[in-house]
Amino acid sequence: MIEVKDVHVLFGNTLALDLESLRIEAGERVFVLGHSGSGKTTLSRLIKGRLRPTSGTVRVLGEDPASPKPKVRREIQRKVAMVDQEFFLVPRATVVANVLSGALGRVPPLRSLLGIYPQEIWERAEDILGEVELSGLEQRRVETLSGGQRQRTAIARALMQEATIIIADEPVSNLDPELAEDALQLLVDCAARRDVTLLVNLHQPELARRFASRFVGLADGRLVYDGDPAGFTRADADLVYRSSQRRKQKERDNSSDSAKPVAPATSHSGIRLVRP
Amino acid sequence: MEFFTRLIPPDWSVAELVLRSTVETLMIALAGTSLAVLGAIPLGFLAASNVTPGWLSHTVKWILGLIRSIPLIVVAIVLVTAVGLGPFPGALAIAFHSVGMLAKFFAEEYETAEEGILQAVRGTGANWSQTLRYGLVPQSVPQIVAFIVYRLEMNFRDAAVLGLVGAGGIGYYIQLYVRGFQYEKVAVLLLTIIAVVTALDQLTYWVRRWVR
Repeated sequence: MIEVKDVHVLFGNTLALDLESLRIEAGERVFVLGHSGSGKTTLSRLIKGRLRPTSGTVRVLGEDPASPKPKVRREIQRKVAMVDQEFFLVPRATVVANVLSGALGRVPPLRSLLGIYPQEIWERAEDILGEVELSGLEQRRVETLSGGQRQRTAIARALMQEATIIIADEPVSNLDPELAEDALQLLVDCAARRDVTLLVNLHQPELARRFASRFVGLADGRLVYDGDPAGFTRADADLVYRSSQRRKQKERDNSSDSAKPVAPATSHSGIRLVRP
Repeated sequence: MEFFTRLIPPDWSVAELVLRSTVETLMIALAGTSLAVLGAIPLGFLAASNVTPGWLSHTVKWILGLIRSIPLIVVAIVLVTAVGLGPFPGALAIAFHSVGMLAKFFAEEYETAEEGILQAVRGTGANWSQTLRYGLVPQSVPQIVAFIVYRLEMNFRDAAVLGLVGAGGIGYYIQLYVRGFQYEKVAVLLLTIIAVVTALDQLTYWVRRWVR
């Protein structure tokens, strides 16, 4: 379903992602763990086709998501829905307008420009809004919603897309802890009802453990864990969350020229680990 | 000094004439602005570098600059020569001149749109025009409307001058009375223009408050 092979992504001189091989099969619930700057977002942007790898291949549903052919690209865009960290809803538009826009890839383009959606699309939107418990707020502008409501609107838009894969990039980092768990539960339930493959970037392993069928741990753009959430031990967590400091330390020791930790490398410079 | 003292008392006998020509000037401004908006909407998209490839948006911006650099009065003279006297060439001149500014302002407004929202809409599989309609336009509507009503106000003032070159409206009488030293009548013209501009200014304010 998703296949990443020998992929390097360079931002300037910084190696943001270096993945030898990663395969994700249909129906998996993969949670990608790692610090900010570990390459989680870069990985999801590759899969969504917003980014072309510097080298290597990415295949999503058998196609290149960053293909030069616009038709192929649009088709992949439609089949891969994305819930961004910042939601990126249209603030001045109503909840239902935002949700309906999820269906833009499969409605008659000319009529949609006039704001006309087919009847069954409207009914679909109503159902989904009920599913995410936003019924009654259809005509509210998004800018008047609370964070949790915006989150659910963003999920509703992604569901409206009827995608095969849903990617959520730090979907709950803007929410309170209690709300975060509910939102993840909602996302996972909705995905399960549709047999959708789920890929969630998260930096809280304890939260992820409750929902994931598989963990992928990234640190400094490299794969440091891939497998069962149950097998994700303290030591693995250390590897995911501490290795960046160690690696930086090591690079500093080993070379004098190449170590240049610019963004998006981690910014956790407060703690400095001394190598044993 | 003599000019000011001779403005009083205004000669209201010309009020009806002035009113009729003011309405004509308003019509020229309205028609010109409407035409300009019709042109500026697509041109604005084409000039916005975040939704249009650089080579095209730069070319369109350059053409818009060219349009803006031609003084309105020159455009009006050319059009009066081409299509004859009257309000029609006046409206065309206004439209041509303001499309250069409106499209540039629209494009600059579009370019401030939140890229994440555009990506999100594109990410649903939307095509180019759908992305504009559902990602770009909703973000820009309040500013776009503000530009349009502001331009309408400007266009009324511009249209008031166009009569000087025979392009219809109140300008014809301004020229006539000023040259004839009939300052009592000029006073009526000035008062009418001030009243209309003030009203338009108020309208601008209301419209901006209404569209948020």
